[in-house]
Amino acid sequence: MNLALFFQQVVNGLAIGSVYAIFALGYTLIFSILGIINFAHSAIFTLGAYFTYALMGARFGFNGLLAQTALPFGLPFPLAVLGGGLLAGGMGVLVERAAFRPLRNRGADPLLMLVSSLGVAVALVNIIQYLVGAEAYSYPNALAGLPPSINLGVGGVPLIMRTVLVVIFIISMLILFALMRLMNHTKAGKALQAVAEDPVTASLLGINTDRLILLTFFISGFLGGIAGTLVGLSVTITGPYFGITFGLRGLAVLVLGGLGSIPGAVVGGLAIGIVEALVPPDLSGYKDAVAFAILLIVLFFRPQGLLGRTFIQKV
Amino acid sequence: MDSFFNQYGFLIVSMTFSALLALSLYLPLMAGQLSLASPAFYAIGGYIAAVLSTQIFPVESGAPFPLERLLLEMLIAAAVSGVLALLVGLPALRLRGVYLALATIALVEIVRVLSLNLEITGKAIGIFGIPQPFATKLDYLWISGVLLLVSAFFVYRLEHSRMGRAFAALREDELAAGAMGINPTTTKLLAFVLGAMLAGVVGAVSAHFLNTWNARQGTFDASILILAYVIIGGSRTFLGPIAGGLLLTALPEVLRALAGVPGLPPLAVSFLQDGRLIIYGVLIVLSTLFFPQGLITPALLRRWNRKGRA
Repeated sequence: MNLALFFQQVVNGLAIGSVYAIFALGYTLIFSILGIINFAHSAIFTLGAYFTYALMGARFGFNGLLAQTALPFGLPFPLAVLGGGLLAGGMGVLVERAAFRPLRNRGADPLLMLVSSLGVAVALVNIIQYLVGAEAYSYPNALAGLPPSINLGVGGVPLIMRTVLVVIFIISMLILFALMRLMNHTKAGKALQAVAEDPVTASLLGINTDRLILLTFFISGFLGGIAGTLVGLSVTITGPYFGITFGLRGLAVLVLGGLGSIPGAVVGGLAIGIVEALVPPDLSGYKDAVAFAILLIVLFFRPQGLLGRTFIQKV
Repeated sequence: MDSFFNQYGFLIVSMTFSALLALSLYLPLMAGQLSLASPAFYAIGGYIAAVLSTQIFPVESGAPFPLERLLLEMLIAAAVSGVLALLVGLPALRLRGVYLALATIALVEIVRVLSLNLEITGKAIGIFGIPQPFATKLDYLWISGVLLLVSAFFVYRLEHSRMGRAFAALREDELAAGAMGINPTTTKLLAFVLGAMLAGVVGAVSAHFLNTWNARQGTFDASILILAYVIIGGSRTFLGPIAGGLLLTALPEVLRALAGVPGLPPLAVSFLQDGRLIIYGVLIVLSTLFFPQGLITPALLRRWNRKGRA
């Protein structure tokens, strides 16, 4: 691999890695507050992609209950992405109300919440299939007016990037920036950090824990929905199951960064994106396993992840 | 009656496989460990049987596959699965909480990707023409049914042994169990390895039963399905996973029959036919909310016992 190609792959990896980062942040936020992994996150990722597709006014295929239907209006792609993210955030809130809150109120075993979120994921994915069938969808003319590739090279060295990846990288960075502002410079963000540190003390200090948990699920769903749309934009929505493999690889990001660590999710996402991009083409069949190999290695040698904290179990 | 068994032979044997796989997930869960690895070991067991029977000791076409070789394959599958589980489980089980679930998801995906890419597993196409030891599908019940009875009896005895009580103690409170002199890591490891061996054996039989084996046999979807058997059937007694595996595998047939009831609106018919997995998902959520111990609970069994004696 020559140097120019190497750099090109690293930059491609950064673009996909930035999507991993915002997706994994959705897992991380919920984990830092509730200490559980929300397996429905990958289904919300998928839903977000379909929401954006519908909001663009695009028509569904030949199978499913909604075959050959479309919304009477169509939004331009940037608005549709935002709308898709907001609707996905709303789904996140619904999932919290239906599958998590009743169990939390009863003080149920965290294992049950994990199982319940898996149940939600199975139901959502198959509802999508039931409604719009299993065919692949791609966003019609999403980036109309932009050239297919951009040269980011300096001097005489070309560095050709697909425009899609540049757009994806910019959107992800905007969202990361907004999230950092929210977490560090607003009252809600400070309250979220307080609840993550210690929910009981936070509620004694007058923080409404239940409302903050809803907010967390909304933000998490928003991040997942946007990530789904961005991946759909780069490769097409390959069907109702397209979130599953991405979602499982997102777990590797979560573990690599450290469960519950926000900077960890960003670093982990970028790292896994780059490593996957550097898999040589003749081994591309194994690309899907890279993230899981990383997951196992991290679990065995540094279970707290790159930036996670170790917890001391108290009796 | 004969025609019933011939028509549903495939379904009946599949039901016993599901019950066995549910038991393989139930074993680590007895010790409080959520492992989603059963499909990985199931896939590995199947590949062992498929490769051995088609390449290492092939029979001339038409002749039935000798039963003792099938038993040998089952033993090898159990041994390989057990050793692999030891290697993966030892580091993963030192950790608490959700780490084992994550490690086992990674294992399932790695096994799937490897079998899609390796020459010996037939890549994406898989392995075809796995020889048949029996004349009909229903005859597989001689293996799977006996295996189910033996495993059920084994797990039943385990629940009432010192080791089984150690499992239960770990499940309730790992710290307290450790203080009582139970070694958490070895105990959890034993539960995990036993589950893996059972899944490997089931895979070996299933490869012959299905006649072909490929990367679609062990996926994350299968993990969730098996988890559903245990959670819905019951996760506090060995009868729960067995009932869950048997009933939920028969559910699609039941739904298909329901869809055939005349006078149903077309929407309901299409939902009963295509919405099976939606129903599974909703059932999983509802049982965690309303039957956190599953449908068959120890309390229910005690009540039955009392009624039986009165």
